[in-house]
Amino acid sequence: MCFCLQPSGENYANPKTCFFHVLFKAAALAFYILSALFVNSFVIIFVVTVFLAALDFWVVKNVSGRILVGLRWWNEIDEQGESVWKFECLDQESLARMNKKDSWLFWWTLYLAAVSWIFLGVFSLIRFQADYLLVVGVCLSLSIANIVGFTKCRKDAKKQIQQFATKTIASQFASSLQSAFSVV
Amino acid sequence: MSHGDTIPLHPSSQSDIDEIENLINADVHSATVLPARPPSPPRVSIPISHSPSPLPPYQKVTPSASPPPVVPAVPAAAAAPAGSSRIGISSDAFGSSPDTLTEPVWDTVKRDLARIVSNLKLVVFPNPYREDPGRALRDWDLWGPFFFIVFLGLTLSWSASAKKSEVFAVAFAILAAGAIILTLNVLLLGGHIIFFQSLSLLGYCLFPLAIGALICMLEGNVIIKIVVVSVTLAWSCWAAYPFMSAAVNPRRKALALYPVFLMYISVAFFIIAID
Repeated sequence: MCFCLQPSGENYANPKTCFFHVLFKAAALAFYILSALFVNSFVIIFVVTVFLAALDFWVVKNVSGRILVGLRWWNEIDEQGESVWKFECLDQESLARMNKKDSWLFWWTLYLAAVSWIFLGVFSLIRFQADYLLVVGVCLSLSIANIVGFTKCRKDAKKQIQQFATKTIASQFASSLQSAFSVV
Repeated sequence: MSHGDTIPLHPSSQSDIDEIENLINADVHSATVLPARPPSPPRVSIPISHSPSPLPPYQKVTPSASPPPVVPAVPAAAAAPAGSSRIGISSDAFGSSPDTLTEPVWDTVKRDLARIVSNLKLVVFPNPYREDPGRALRDWDLWGPFFFIVFLGLTLSWSASAKKSEVFAVAFAILAAGAIILTLNVLLLGGHIIFFQSLSLLGYCLFPLAIGALICMLEGNVIIKIVVVSVTLAWSCWAAYPFMSAAVNPRRKALALYPVFLMYISVAFFIIAID
C-alpha cells in the first residue's frame, strides 16, 4: 500500500467505524490463511471464513458505507414485480464535508481485500483444491458485490450533484408556479 | 391535485423518503421507479412483527440487497458491538430528518432481523397472503437462506460419522448451485420471477428440512426418521408450490415444479441416508 497517497493533516473522523470496516475483512483473510496451519477441519474453516466475510459485507454495506462515504445502495421490487436497484447519497454539503481519510481507507481496503481474495483463489486453483476454491469464491463475490454497488452509487451521486446544481433554480421556479396554481 | 408536491401518505417514513427524493432526484432517474413509492404504505397491513423503534420505521422500503451468488450475513452478533451506541456524529452533522443514511446502527440490525422473521413467516407458515406470492416475498433477503443452508450443512456433517468435511461441502454446494439452477430454470421457461427473490424463496423453504435434519440427528430410529423427513419434505414442497407455480405459464407449471421437488426429495434422502 502506497502511504504517499494518504492525505495528511486531518484525523479519522469515525475511528470506530473504520476499525470495524477493516476488522472483519482482515479477520476473514487472516483466519483463512492461518487456519491451514492450525485447524484440521474444512467445515470449520469454511463456516468461520464465510461467516466473517458475510459479516463484513453487511457492515460495509449498511454501516461503514453510510458513515464513511455517505452512500447506500439496495434493491427493491416495485409494484410491477420488476427489480430496481436504488442508490442513495447524502446531499451535497454533507458529501463535501466527508472526511478524506475515512473515504480513502474505505475504498482502498475494499479493493485490497478483493485483490487478496483473487490472489488466494489463484493459489488454491494451482493446488487443485476445489473446496477451498469454494470458500474463496464466496468471499470474493461478496467483496466484488460491495465494490460494484458502491462504485455505481458514487457515480450516481456525482451525476446527481451535477444535475442538482443546474436544476435548483428551475425547480424552485416550477414549484412556486405549481403552488400558485394549486390554490385554484 | 396532489401530484406536484409530494404529500406524504404516512407522515413518518414517507416524508423522510420524499425529502431525500426531492433533494436527490431532481430528474426522474432512469434506474429508479418513483411511482412505486406511494403504494408501499398499504403493506403495513401485512401482519409482521416489527419491533417498535423510536425512529420512523423504514419498513419495507429498503431491503438489504445481496450479490449474485448466494451469501450474506447474520447481522445480529456482529453489529451489536459495532453499533449498540448511537453514532452521534451522523445525527448531528447530516440534516434534520433521520433516514436510512443516518439511522443508528442498531436500528439497521433490528430492521434486518425483523425482515428475516417476517419472510420466514410469509413463506413457511400459512398466512392470508399466500395467494399473492409475488407481493408476499417482495422484501427478499438472503440472510435467512444463508443461515438455513449452513445450518443444514452443519447438521448433516455432524450426523455423518465419516468424511464430515466432504458432506458439508457437498451439501452446501448442491443447495446453493441447486437454488441458482432452479431459478434459471424458471427464467428459461419464460417465467416472471426475480432472480434473488427466487433464491430467497428456495432458501427459506429449506427451513422445514433443516428442522427435519436436526430431529434426525438426535433420533436414531430409521422409521421415525422416515416419518419426520416425509412430513418436513411435504411441508417444504407445500411452501414452495404457490410461488413457483404462480411465476410460470400454467401449462409449464409441472416443468418448473418438478426440479424443485426433485431437489428437496434428494435432500430428504440425504438426510435419511446419513449414518
